[in-house]
Amino acid sequence: MSSGWRWRDLPSGVKFCGRKFSRKKSGTAMVRVKARYLLCELNVSDRTQLLLLDDRAVLAAVKTAVARIHGDYGAALCSMRFSIKYLNAHTGIVFLRFLRRAYKLLWSALPFITSIDARGHKIPCFLNCLHVGGTIRTCQKFLVRYNTQQLHRMLPKCRNEEEKQEVRKAILNCSLTKGNNEEFHIESESEEDEEAQS
Amino acid sequence: MRRDEEKGEAAVFQRVVLKNASPYHYMKVCLVLEDESTKLSAVELKQFIITGLKTLYGEVGAALNFDLLKYDEDTFTAVLRVYSKWLVKLWSSLTLNGFYQNQACAFRVLQVSPFLLALSGNSRELQLD
Amino acid sequence: MKVWTGGKQGKQRWRRRSNTTPRSLLVCERSSFCDENNRVSSQVEQLHFNYKVSVLLSDCSSAPSHLESLLTSFSHFYLVRNLPLHELLDKQFLETAVYQGNVYGLSYRTRLDEDNCVALMPNGHLVLSLDKDSFQVLGFEGKTSTFNYKTKNRYVVTVDLTDGSMAPGRQAYLRLLTGLTSRLPLQMDFLLSHHPGGGASLQALLSRYIWSEHKPEVGTCSLTHLPCPDLQSCDPHGLLEWLGAVDANISRDNSSSSFLSSLVCPEPKRTVSRALRISICGLLLPHDVQRLIQELRCYLGQCQPESWVSLTVHGFVDSPVSWGGKEHGVLRGGENFYTLFIFHDHTYHLHLAAGAQDTCPP
Repeated sequence: MSSGWRWRDLPSGVKFCGRKFSRKKSGTAMVRVKARYLLCELNVSDRTQLLLLDDRAVLAAVKTAVARIHGDYGAALCSMRFSIKYLNAHTGIVFLRFLRRAYKLLWSALPFITSIDARGHKIPCFLNCLHVGGTIRTCQKFLVRYNTQQLHRMLPKCRNEEEKQEVRKAILNCSLTKGNNEEFHIESESEEDEEAQS
Repeated sequence: MRRDEEKGEAAVFQRVVLKNASPYHYMKVCLVLEDESTKLSAVELKQFIITGLKTLYGEVGAALNFDLLKYDEDTFTAVLRVYSKWLVKLWSSLTLNGFYQNQACAFRVLQVSPFLLALSGNSRELQLD
Repeated sequence: MKVWTGGKQGKQRWRRRSNTTPRSLLVCERSSFCDENNRVSSQVEQLHFNYKVSVLLSDCSSAPSHLESLLTSFSHFYLVRNLPLHELLDKQFLETAVYQGNVYGLSYRTRLDEDNCVALMPNGHLVLSLDKDSFQVLGFEGKTSTFNYKTKNRYVVTVDLTDGSMAPGRQAYLRLLTGLTSRLPLQMDFLLSHHPGGGASLQALLSRYIWSEHKPEVGTCSLTHLPCPDLQSCDPHGLLEWLGAVDANISRDNSSSSFLSSLVCPEPKRTVSRALRISICGLLLPHDVQRLIQELRCYLGQCQPESWVSLTVHGFVDSPVSWGGKEHGVLRGGENFYTLFIFHDHTYHLHLAAGAQDTCPP
């Protein structure tokens, strides 16, 4: 390129679309900022309290726990790219996004969360980590699989055919009318029923 | 004669190279206080360092094990021993310790070594005047 | 932005290095003085610039007279204030001192990690460890420091003054001389010592500057009821830690649960009723250390069979060379020392330790 090369030296038919240009387009080493997504479930004693939760409350609870366990250093790491990606107040499923560099450190503080303050209520609960994934997609896949597993585990426990039918119907209903997320909701409520009966 | 033979057996040449095997690191630190007339005992110093660790690294940091091997109350100089793995944490928290009882202070790290022996033979202390 | 050519592993290695402790090396040797292949004398000879020697004699309350006289007969050394470096290339100095060999010179109160440091080795090599600016101003052939090869901000110039090309009047000699006189007029406090001739051969140089003669400082301290680990079975780091605690006067009677310190003497231990610690500080020559080792061996011959002697020699932290003229650097500690345990049956344990920026000891 340096030795006096000019555009007009190119033969007329040549379209310049070499690698050099395509590389330039992609920019100087644009690398995705990597994160780790933790799929956790919130375990509370009284499930109705779950509905009080919002993502800000969970965020604040995680941040205070990290600040207590890992001090200023942990709090600083926790303020970098940390967010609650998804919170299902019906089922208590939470997606936490952490910086990949620091997720182990931050993860270690999660067991120290014993209660969450939400809307003036103090909800005693604990976080149970189900899955650690690199993308939200893998976490979601896992969640679907996990819920199916739970369902399969619980269906045989139904005492009579009616219950089974009810559960099936409920699932079919919601999947057709309401969408994917509600599936977990119904399923986990049925799970609750099972637990209550047995 | 027999003794000589025994010696010959015992005198097998043996050479072992240990790399990064030192379990501990030793630090010689000096606390510089704004008000030099302040008295500070060894226990208070250790407590102060632990408080610093707790603010920077939280409860996990406060649980970090280190020993105050030697402390000179007149010059505020101390020798610390810490597991090699935790050296970076201890050092950084010492650096960020800025206040002792509302007066400005600073830790000067004079020497760091994986060998305690090296702390007693620091040629930078050679005074020829 | 940093470009990683080392691939994923290299990046991980870099990450690991950035938040872990620096490297350290410890070489442990066991052998006997009776073994003709033992290398103690060559190892002692190779550490040129010794700062401190400390000796620990077990079962001994006062130093034997011949040992004491030996300690006082350690070579004296000279401190020259603000010595311009080109004086080391002075023709008369070269002829009277350097060509005869055994001149030890080391810059004093210069820090190897921030200043320019100079060492004159007994084999006539002049080693200058320079920062980037000084090196480029000097305009003489040199190499980047092994330990800063990435950042390239420290350079080492090694000159063999006894070599034919460095004879006074030759081209290389003149280039270095003009470099040190006009381009980079380095001045520093300098420690000098000359082994057999003493000060006589250095007089011409000394007379032109402010100088003072110094004697190595000897200190003795007797210890009683010293808990002592089993030297044969104790692991080397535990042993050196114990010896360091004895040297630094650190109390070892802690319980393992006390708040301040949990340092204890390694098990199994026995108590030595009395011991003597002797230390000597200054610019000490390997030759004197050699004599001291001989003397200690003689002393051990007259002692009880279970007694032992330990000898620790600390090198200068800021010397640009350590063992055998190999490059030395200060990353965090810059320690280079060795410890020799001598036993009654002429066996010995030698521990050679080096810090992060040091090659493996011989």
